[in-house]
Amino acid sequence: MTKTLKKPYTIKIGRRLHYSRKLSILTTFFALILAFGVAGVFFAIIGLNPLEVYSYIGGVFTSPILLLESLKRAIPIGLAALGLCVAFKMNFWNIGAEGQMYMGMFASTGVVLLHVYYGLFPDYLVLLLMILGAFFAGGLWCSLPAFLKAKMKVNEILTTLMMNYVAMYFVDFLVYGPWRDPKGYGFPLSIPFPDYSKLTIIFGEFAYGGLLLLCVTAVLVFIILRYSKLGFELRIVGESIDTARYAGINLSKVITLGGFIAGGIAGIGGLTIVSGIIGRLRPRASPGYGYTAIIVGLLSALNPWLILPVSIFFGGLFVAGDILQATLKIPGAAVEMYQALIFLFIVIGEFMKRYQITITRGGDS
Amino acid sequence: MSIQWIEQVLQLTVQMGTVYLLASLGEIYSERSGVLNLGLEGMMIMGAAMSFIFSVAYGHLSAIVMAAIIGALMGFILSILTVDMKLNQVLVGLALTLLGIGLSGFFTFPEIRKNLLLRLNPSLPENMLITQQAEKLQEVLIPLFSDIPILGKMFFSHNVFVYFSLILSVVMWFVLFKTRIGLTIRSVGENPSMADSLGVNVYMVRRVSTIISGVFASLAGAYFFIGFHPFWREGVTAGRGFIALALVILATWSPLRAILGAYLFGGVETFQYRLQLFGLGAQSPYFLAMLPYIITIITLIVISTESIKKKLGAPATLGTPYSREE
Amino acid sequence: MEELVSLRGIVKHFPGVLANDNVDFTLRRGEIHALLGENGAGKTTLMNILYGLYRPDSGEIYVKGRRVEISSPRDAIKLGVGMVHQNFKLIPSHTILENIILGLKEVGLIINYKKISEEIKKLAESYGWRINPDTYVWQLTAGEKQQVELLKLLYRDAHILIFDEPTSVLTPQECRILFQALRRMAKEGKGIIFITHKLDEVLAISDRVTVMRKGKVVITKETNKTDVSELAQYMVGRPVLFTIEKERSQPSGEAIIIKNLKAFNDKGVLALKGVDLVVMNNEIVGIIGVTGNGQQELVEVIAGLRKAVEGSLIIDGTNIVNSTPDKIIELGVAYIPPEPLRYSVAPNLTIIDNLFLKAYRYKPYSNGIMINWRKIHEKANELIKNFQIVSPSLSAKAKSLSGGNLQRLILARELSGLIGERIPRLIVAAYPTKGLDIGAAEFVHKTLIEYSRKGSGILFVSEDIEEALMISDRVAVMYDGRIISIFRPGEIDIEKIGLMMAGVEIASTS
Repeated sequence: MTKTLKKPYTIKIGRRLHYSRKLSILTTFFALILAFGVAGVFFAIIGLNPLEVYSYIGGVFTSPILLLESLKRAIPIGLAALGLCVAFKMNFWNIGAEGQMYMGMFASTGVVLLHVYYGLFPDYLVLLLMILGAFFAGGLWCSLPAFLKAKMKVNEILTTLMMNYVAMYFVDFLVYGPWRDPKGYGFPLSIPFPDYSKLTIIFGEFAYGGLLLLCVTAVLVFIILRYSKLGFELRIVGESIDTARYAGINLSKVITLGGFIAGGIAGIGGLTIVSGIIGRLRPRASPGYGYTAIIVGLLSALNPWLILPVSIFFGGLFVAGDILQATLKIPGAAVEMYQALIFLFIVIGEFMKRYQITITRGGDS
Repeated sequence: MSIQWIEQVLQLTVQMGTVYLLASLGEIYSERSGVLNLGLEGMMIMGAAMSFIFSVAYGHLSAIVMAAIIGALMGFILSILTVDMKLNQVLVGLALTLLGIGLSGFFTFPEIRKNLLLRLNPSLPENMLITQQAEKLQEVLIPLFSDIPILGKMFFSHNVFVYFSLILSVVMWFVLFKTRIGLTIRSVGENPSMADSLGVNVYMVRRVSTIISGVFASLAGAYFFIGFHPFWREGVTAGRGFIALALVILATWSPLRAILGAYLFGGVETFQYRLQLFGLGAQSPYFLAMLPYIITIITLIVISTESIKKKLGAPATLGTPYSREE
Repeated sequence: MEELVSLRGIVKHFPGVLANDNVDFTLRRGEIHALLGENGAGKTTLMNILYGLYRPDSGEIYVKGRRVEISSPRDAIKLGVGMVHQNFKLIPSHTILENIILGLKEVGLIINYKKISEEIKKLAESYGWRINPDTYVWQLTAGEKQQVELLKLLYRDAHILIFDEPTSVLTPQECRILFQALRRMAKEGKGIIFITHKLDEVLAISDRVTVMRKGKVVITKETNKTDVSELAQYMVGRPVLFTIEKERSQPSGEAIIIKNLKAFNDKGVLALKGVDLVVMNNEIVGIIGVTGNGQQELVEVIAGLRKAVEGSLIIDGTNIVNSTPDKIIELGVAYIPPEPLRYSVAPNLTIIDNLFLKAYRYKPYSNGIMINWRKIHEKANELIKNFQIVSPSLSAKAKSLSGGNLQRLILARELSGLIGERIPRLIVAAYPTKGLDIGAAEFVHKTLIEYSRKGSGILFVSEDIEEALMISDRVAVMYDGRIISIFRPGEIDIEKIGLMMAGVEIASTS
């Protein structure tokens, strides 16, 4: 005799076969709302009015000056995120955007120094060479873990993460040591970049020059992914390595090359920091933009066009963090906390997309 | 280079290494069961923050307890998201790390901290409310042994945390390799469907091991603050959680080898500061600082080679969620 | 004689197929009972039900006279039922001992390695095995690993043992050792169920044999009251053969010459033991045989997806063995792997992407760096029309296609000469009609015949003898990693074919 237990309801969790774009957008939207909500709770715990906090954040996007400032921050974030597009599309978990940015900073500063001290090339070529150098440096920094993954299946999450720290300390070494500005009163700063090597030469304001760079890169990334042979191969590799092998793709070549491009773009992001935002090299020049880029990439579903507005949003969050610190005495860490919550809820949103929860009345167990 | 200097360096090495050791011990258990906890850094810094606030408000005991609780909570959240909801462990871990860093900075910010401290213990004097430092844990010298030259200072003149971590390593090694529980944990990470078919509750094993890694990461942070360097700065753990992750790999997932690795990294870090004091050029510290990470990358490459993979490799299903197929 | 297990009226449906159709089966104490049948006969399904991996739609299970519900392998093990699968469930980096005692509460908190090691050694010896429980599993041979799987069950006092094609991974000596052990277990009173397709084994080891075909039990008999040809007949049946009007092809030149090909399978066992075969242009060669005799490995080696350790593959005068897949594709070899959604189709990419999965890198669809999507769209529309692929749009994801349409997509991709503007020199198709309905299957047959007429050589692996006899010019029987016979349809009757598939050698013709 089989027993039947009657429950008031049964919860069944089953895999969804496919989900519509509408569901995608809905879950993203809810994720943002939940992040707002939970962050609000934390604000309330310490006695702040969450609405007041949010009004400040909103204010960043309505004031032209602050919006410009947000745009400035958005540029390195967006560039790194575009690089991540390429990497993630082939299932290469590049956590190393931060380090690749630092290598870009290193290369661009190097070019400036070479020029200033040895006068190797004419003034008008310097910026171009900086871009090339940053691309190569960041690219090489990422292609090593990529190659290791392709040939030996070494886990890229840890390798790229470790290389972040190596790059960071390398820049520390340079800036505390051989590349320290002799006229800098002993501070760990490089010489300030001469005007022709800064991105301000385009349109006279870094934000605009940088925006142009960002848009051009977005277009290039879009073209590469959609229209180039490599982009097609990347997508197949991202789908399944077995399928890629069956299709005759040379895995080592594609993965390493894809990594090179991803790192290169992030390297250029580093260039925009030293050449656009700060104007010189210093330690810890990036407040974690490389990690923010991961969140941006995910939130934009790896779509190059969405990355632009989303980067500006996150750039705005950083600006808001500065303001909140000055006015309401909220630590800059609040921004990190808020970003992390958005990240967390987006990831949880994935669960809702993948699985379907059905609750039915009655039922046997 | 006197005996005293050597003794001091060794002592500091062990003290510094204990942070890594504690965090990696917990992570060894969770990774052995198949769960990668990339949130170690976040849990560590939350532990440090909690220990800061609570040691000022009440004292060391409550600091340790609260750190453990917060670590368990974060570990629990990680387990729900990765084991039950089968979300991507890398992303969840990263999110928890960022969250931990953010929250810790948030709650230790002077104004906010003052608020909290007052609410916890209204009788605190003003200077305690704004101080950036806390009382350091006392050292407990083991009689007789601590007088042995060199070794005495190195192993027998520390606070309780250090002794605890060493004893714990041995105990955890024993449990992992000599007991049924340890065998179960290891098998869940290697072949969960086999374990499942033989009656093991895979989900619970993974949940418990993840909570353990959270608790230990958090305790490592608490130790770092009240037991080693009780001066709060934002981001005070500076990536040590990630180094602990690297350490787990270097130790090839064994608690005893973790001791060696932890002290290796601790030693490297100690030398960084020592050499700077000696004026041996400002350059050296940074290359030394890179060393743990480079060593990790080399280790990763070495254990990926086929021959080594079989004997010392990562648990087979590390990072992959388990679901019972119909 | 006490009955250990009794299955009554077991019915099990899967989407589109009735795997078990009112099956009755009993296992007596102390007997070795063989379960014989071709692929898809339903034997593995039935045993999976007994082992708790599946639940029957209806029917009853009795163990030792008591009615039971078995909802998972844990329940089965508790009842004393154990199954040794073809894929071992072991942990290579652990020792034999650790694999055996996993999950056993009786072991206590601290593992007494010495005591348990002794126990395991003694247990193994009682069955004629010599093992050292402290060896690591990755060091063991396939036969030894199987012993560990068995010990896992025996250590838990399993007395109903199910074996799923156990000899497929064993050498002849290891087979003998296994059979000796089985006899000892039977003498102890254990009951053994032995799934196999090899007739000689049935006669060598079993007391009774049950033959299944297409989900039904054909007969259950005492082994000593039957013989090979009778069993073969039961196994394969007497199907009605309808032939397509097929003109004898006029082969002209070799598409591929396979000589003495040897290769290992994923488990490290030699799967191809010296395959010799020639496929001519304009010809369809069908390979039949029970799945697992090396067919999959053969096609993978030809496609460049698996390494051969010996032998040669000659296409157009060059030995292409162990070349990379892209070179083989360029030589004009088309490969249609089994199970489309596994890797021959990228489910989340669009139909267009999949149509050009291999051709994207060649002119005129790309110029070396950029892809010419316009040309691709044009050609894609053509292909969809010619191959009758039904789908709402070209940019729909491939996973939304039905099985039949998916297969048409693959055919369109492989056969229509996208690469080098010519039809493939050699088409290798593995189980291309599996899971398809009659209409879709017919389309595949028609297409293959059409291309053989156009000049391609076709190598076609099938589980279905009727299908193979229907469309092939020559049929090859593959058994135990070799081609043991090649003949023209109609030259050899169905019983003999069944015997060959089951390993009973007969001199081949032509």
